[in-house]
Amino acid sequence: MLLSVHRRGQLSAIANLRWRMFVNGLRTKRGKMELVSRIIVTLAFAVGGLGGFSAAAGFAYWFVSHGKAEMLAVLLWPVLFFWQVFPVMATAFTNNPDSSELLRFPLAYRSYFLIRLAYGFFDPASALGSVGLLGILLGVTVARPLLFPWALVVIVTFALFNLVLMQTVFAWLERWLAQRRTREILGVLFILVMLSFQLIGPMVERLQKKPRPELTKAVEIAAQVQAVLPPGLAADAMAQASHGEYFVGFTSLLFLGALTTAVGYLLHLRLRAQFRGENLSEAGARPVVEQTQALQVGWTVPGFSQAVAAVFEKEVRYLARSGPMLLTLIMPIFMLLVFRLGPMNPMRHSSFLTRAPDMAFPGAAAYALLVLTNLVYNSFGGDGGGIQFFYASPVHFRQIVLGKNLTHGAILVANTALAWIAVTFFYGAPALAVSVATLAGLLFAAPLNFTAGNLLSIYAPKKRDFATFGRQNVSQTTVLVSLGVQIVTVGVGAAAFMIGRLYHNLWISAFAFLLLSAISFPLYIMVLRRLDGIALERREALIGELCRA
Amino acid sequence: MDSAPTISTQGLSRRFGDLVAVDGVDLQVAPGQFFGFLGPNGAGKSTTIKMLTGLLAPSSGRIEILGLDLTAHPVEVKRQIGVVPEGMALFGRLTGAEFLSFAGRMYGLERETAAKRATELLEFMQLADQPKKLVTDYSHGMQKKLALAAAVIHGPKVLFLDEPFEGVDAIAAGTLKSMLQGMIARGATIFLTSHVLEIVERLCSHVAIIHQGRLVAQGSLEELRAGVQAKTSAGSGDGSPASGEKLTLEQIFLSIVGGTRRAEQELSWLG
Repeated sequence: MLLSVHRRGQLSAIANLRWRMFVNGLRTKRGKMELVSRIIVTLAFAVGGLGGFSAAAGFAYWFVSHGKAEMLAVLLWPVLFFWQVFPVMATAFTNNPDSSELLRFPLAYRSYFLIRLAYGFFDPASALGSVGLLGILLGVTVARPLLFPWALVVIVTFALFNLVLMQTVFAWLERWLAQRRTREILGVLFILVMLSFQLIGPMVERLQKKPRPELTKAVEIAAQVQAVLPPGLAADAMAQASHGEYFVGFTSLLFLGALTTAVGYLLHLRLRAQFRGENLSEAGARPVVEQTQALQVGWTVPGFSQAVAAVFEKEVRYLARSGPMLLTLIMPIFMLLVFRLGPMNPMRHSSFLTRAPDMAFPGAAAYALLVLTNLVYNSFGGDGGGIQFFYASPVHFRQIVLGKNLTHGAILVANTALAWIAVTFFYGAPALAVSVATLAGLLFAAPLNFTAGNLLSIYAPKKRDFATFGRQNVSQTTVLVSLGVQIVTVGVGAAAFMIGRLYHNLWISAFAFLLLSAISFPLYIMVLRRLDGIALERREALIGELCRA
Repeated sequence: MDSAPTISTQGLSRRFGDLVAVDGVDLQVAPGQFFGFLGPNGAGKSTTIKMLTGLLAPSSGRIEILGLDLTAHPVEVKRQIGVVPEGMALFGRLTGAEFLSFAGRMYGLERETAAKRATELLEFMQLADQPKKLVTDYSHGMQKKLALAAAVIHGPKVLFLDEPFEGVDAIAAGTLKSMLQGMIARGATIFLTSHVLEIVERLCSHVAIIHQGRLVAQGSLEELRAGVQAKTSAGSGDGSPASGEKLTLEQIFLSIVGGTRRAEQELSWLG
């Protein structure tokens, strides 16, 4: 028997615990709304998963039936990337409960290890990755039915590798994220790596236009390297079997198993340390240095009250200490760079911005607004227990929200100004009509987003740590609504610009945006005025959610 | 009472679904009192203090602080009170000085005054030696001291403290106590909840005890002591001290909330 009765009892109790937490979460209206949102989001994912499944099955069938089973690696690599990168990138959909809380119970180490893997298996990335692998299995089986048992073993081993690797990455990230400074450094590095991925496409496109022997050699080397990595090994295991070379295929499978074990050992190192009561203290992160206290006088914001200025200062200080948030400032410029690098090839017609460079500034400005979504739609998330201070202080809630929106607006203005400079540098100075139309567009879009964001910040808040990327809970309701608002904003904006371009007069777009802002701005003011009452009515839910340990 | 009460509630109640957490509480706290609000776990202490400070809406009843109706004049009331709630209400990613300066300005102090008082408070609380340290990196005791500093930076007339001594070492507790006693000496009113009965006994002049959501006792320590002694001498005398011995607050508390347990209730299987 793999597990003792005692251990099975524990695992069953933990499964029951997760189930009860889910059921109890449905007691409140908000919990029910979260469930509905989650179902809609899951359905959207299911459609994507079905697409991936069909594509994987179709391509796998084609590769195997045409005697090119080694090409299965082309399918397995995306599965691996998706499985590993998605949970970190799309934190809104990740579900990684903290298993270390269970350590207070007399849990055997093996059970702890299994629970950690089990939690990982229920992550959407694992589910979607598994669906993709099932597609590959189906394609291989339909092409060569006799290969099914062998392909099943290979696919299961590959899935296990992915599952263990994902948990290992998270476990080590947790270790490095445990201290504030390393957390922020890691965060900055992570975003830079993610951004660099976006540069690969344009770079490859450029290089492909100028065939070079050294490039061909590099591709050959890369192919050899990938062959000894898990997707290559899994593909080779199936390819060799399809050629009747089961022994060689078994060798590849054995290597894949060895790599899974090696990664599992790395996971074991982390989990063992946790199991033994490792305590990574924040306080120990930096040495205590005696320093003198200088008088720090707060900021003023002309035209605004002390309280609004104080909230503005507090928000700016928070953001300035958040590496990930600081990087949002350079994101629009970085995207412009990516778009600019793309068209630097003979096929200039392939880029939209090459054909319509006047749209670079509106596009960058729209992106500048988009990167604020996390902040605007969950503006109290970073305050945590501090929300009680807001409620206890003699300040109207609308002033607190105004202070936060002022910060969001300031970031937007700074980002837009930087984007204008970058556009001028990359594409030439935007025409006056384009600049005015874009700013008018922001006058319409920003109040609309701030209005929706202010309401969702109060109705669907989620506690968040400004210094980390992964393992953040985001309200599913917020995900749905913010997506809807962004679609409306971008749709209306695109329509206004299209009309302007149709008549070769972007002043029409500017005028249309100003008219729209005459609706969105009063709407913002109206909702802001009502926030005191709404916040008072929602205080228990807001405090309860943000003060949660 | 001779003067108008600083804190007054009439029929204060709070329900959570079917559960009545606070049931018709009538509290009277006179100006300058150091008032201890006691009760067993789940009795309704934190719920009451949250309602008194505007962090939770009452289901029914009326709250008056300094003669002002809290529901009708929340901002005016909050301007004159200081609060250290259960979760301390700190902003972790500010330094201590930044947080205190922020708190001062939110309570209407001028920038320079807020900064000056922040510096003085950090010195007084012995938190000034690491000005670059973020609040999130403070120890629990340091955070308690900082939360108290933020609650008093505007010189409140009434101070509400929810378990201010929980998790605080003896040195920090001494600092907090001396500050609170100083405030009382200058005419402020302090309303605190605590599980540490010895501290309440030493600091508080008046006490109220809440049990199962209802106020079961209220008055000065002497009044409560006299009441319990009269009751125990008339009754069986179970648990009462020897004749002439002064009852401790713990004995008064246990006598009022019924803290004794019968032998058959003991868990016989417990090693």
